[in-house]
Amino acid sequence: MIRLGAEPSKMREIELDDVFLSRLQLLIIMSKAYLNGYPLGRHRIKSILENAKHIKMEAVGLDEDLELFGEDESTENGLGFDSAFYQRVKLLAVMAEAIAKGHALEQHKKEALEKNLDAVCESITFNKQVSDIQFLKVA
Amino acid sequence: MVGTLMYSVNREVLPFENGLEAWIYFESYGVPDIIVADVNLADLSGPELLGKVKGLDRNTVVILYSDVPEREAIVREAGADAFLAKPFGVSELFDLVQRFVVEDRSGS
Repeated sequence: MIRLGAEPSKMREIELDDVFLSRLQLLIIMSKAYLNGYPLGRHRIKSILENAKHIKMEAVGLDEDLELFGEDESTENGLGFDSAFYQRVKLLAVMAEAIAKGHALEQHKKEALEKNLDAVCESITFNKQVSDIQFLKVA
Repeated sequence: MVGTLMYSVNREVLPFENGLEAWIYFESYGVPDIIVADVNLADLSGPELLGKVKGLDRNTVVILYSDVPEREAIVREAGADAFLAKPFGVSELFDLVQRFVVEDRSGS
């Protein structure tokens, strides 16, 4: 039997932060796949749209919380990201949604998407250990 | 999350509310290639579902997950193909897809 996941001493329920990061990771992978010319199948489109919808919804809420409390960082939600990060995440979700809906991105928009992806990945790298973003190799 | 990952690798996904609902569907329409389920399912537990499914088709891959360390031994005893200890992330799910979807398909 294959065993994957947390060590026994670190096992716990999956929290909203975990789900948010996983959805964001999937969105990054699929956006990178698009930029590298991989085709979008019917199921993959469904996956992008669903993840983008959740990410947009959750990032909006988190971003508004930051503005409301005048916080530089979202320490209360446990992720420790700043407002600019959530703005970038929202932008990523909007662009991924556009891709999934069949809107072809012009070259300058592709470059903007790539820059945005790099910035989001960098933020995740700062907040998570490098070993946690090995999934990027899959793209 | 598991569902959206499977969609992202272009696989059809059938979500069920509990173990019994899944089993009733499998009895009527056949078992899928891969089953990913919580150990602690309502009505019919993950290991119970696993036993019934393997009785129908030994080749069906059954992956069970839990946040309780003691349940790993139960899952092993039941004959699961993989145990996912919560919390797990995208990389673990991709690892399983690689092993049970990509490699199996290229091997067959």
